[in-house]
Amino acid sequence: MIRMFHVYKTYPNKILALHDINIHIRKGEFVFLVGPTGAGKTTFLRLIYRGTVPNKGQVIVNGINIARLKPSYIPYLRRNIGIVFQDFKLLYSRTVYENISFGLKAIGATNFEIREQVKKVLNLVGLESKKNVKPHLLSGGEQQKLCIARAIANEPLILLTDEPTGNLDPDTSWEIMQLLFHINIRGTTVIMASHDKLMVDKARKRVIRVERGRIIEDTQRGIY
Amino acid sequence: MIFENMGFYFREALLSFRRSALMSMAAIISNTTILIIVGMFLLISVNSSLFLKNLESQLEIIVYLKDDISETEVNVLKDGIFGINGIKEVKFVSKEEAYQRLLKDLGGQRDIFNAIEVNPLPASFEIKVKDPKIIEQIANQLEKLKKIEEIEYGQDIVERLLNFTDIFRRVGILILALLVLASILIISNIIKITVYARRDEIEIMSLSGATHWFIKWPFVIEGFLQGFISAILAILILYKFYFFAINKVQQAVPFLPVVWDKIELWPIGAAIIVLGSLVGILGSMFSVGKYLNV
Repeated sequence: MIRMFHVYKTYPNKILALHDINIHIRKGEFVFLVGPTGAGKTTFLRLIYRGTVPNKGQVIVNGINIARLKPSYIPYLRRNIGIVFQDFKLLYSRTVYENISFGLKAIGATNFEIREQVKKVLNLVGLESKKNVKPHLLSGGEQQKLCIARAIANEPLILLTDEPTGNLDPDTSWEIMQLLFHINIRGTTVIMASHDKLMVDKARKRVIRVERGRIIEDTQRGIY
Repeated sequence: MIFENMGFYFREALLSFRRSALMSMAAIISNTTILIIVGMFLLISVNSSLFLKNLESQLEIIVYLKDDISETEVNVLKDGIFGINGIKEVKFVSKEEAYQRLLKDLGGQRDIFNAIEVNPLPASFEIKVKDPKIIEQIANQLEKLKKIEEIEYGQDIVERLLNFTDIFRRVGILILALLVLASILIISNIIKITVYARRDEIEIMSLSGATHWFIKWPFVIEGFLQGFISAILAILILYKFYFFAINKVQQAVPFLPVVWDKIELWPIGAAIIVLGSLVGILGSMFSVGKYLNV
């Protein structure tokens, strides 16, 4: 599903973000991306959704070489990828329902499809009773669930989550983790960048450790 | 795809208009102000160009004829004058007519002429030309005709006047260009602020896989609406102001030519609408483009 060959990324301010990354993530895997702040986790995720391009090397996502992807095709790559941000990036002037339908409308779904999909994902994350509420009235955990609902609404092949439990208490975090496992079992490849030792250790999934832009450890059923 | 979603784009544009009502209002007020300034300048330049044209059209060549000229010779001469390129109008003033004019001009002092028994004034042709710039050329050609006593056309005045009107027009075009440029910069900056306020939406749409045009359309429509409404407001205000102002001007300086004809003012209205709408559309497009590369 995702392959990287000798990927190097340096930002214009000369900060080396990634150094000779080689990785293969298969369809349906659940992968933790761990490491200290500034290790290159976010850059790793950005490469996958073509938020940035490598200076050297190849990144293949679902058979597409993202470095050679024409800008006009980027939207179509992204329709296969759901993204959950630590800072939520919700639209606070719109309701829960509209936050999800907004993204679906953007990729050309019909009104019928939108109604059905929004209902389905709100059920999945347990927010169906709050569909007409604005996000600022939701708790942190609920907001994160809404982000996940939005990210999976168009049934992407890949779900990228950047520290989704970063600001949550352990119980809520575990709820979010259960949700992500559930999504993973249904066939979506999940990559989760995380600092959350407790969650990583509890999950026992594949762990890729990044430090100073290099992969220094890659273990199946690993711990933090 | 585009027309399928037009309803959505319009709803989104209107929604954003309503949601950020204060911002939209501020943008419309500023845009209207800028467009009024541009419009005012256009009105002033239309009127001053009318004034200059009027001034230039008063330039004429007077050809004084020899006293012994016969009626047939006058007609031959007249044909000769019409044969010259660039002649607009030729008027024959007979000796008698010239005398009557002089009497009229003198008014109460006409008694001086009682002493003179013969009319000393020559007959003449008053010639208007199509383009005042070639007045000298035409005068030179007229000199070659027969039975002419003298040719008069106020050479220095013509030159100075033409110089002045030329400079005036060039400066006007320069100021207009600068004004339009300034208005484009100011309006597109105002739009940039409104787009900046919605950069999150743009980012989310882009990350969800929306195409660039899908994201741009609502902003383009909003920009157009803002520009168009501003232009209409500016035109209404200018309209009221203009006729009030020229009324006052005419009362103060009755002989000054001003543009009353509304048909002549239409191009200015059209220019304001085009400027407002176009800058609104282009400004939105470029501003959104800046936030699309995430």
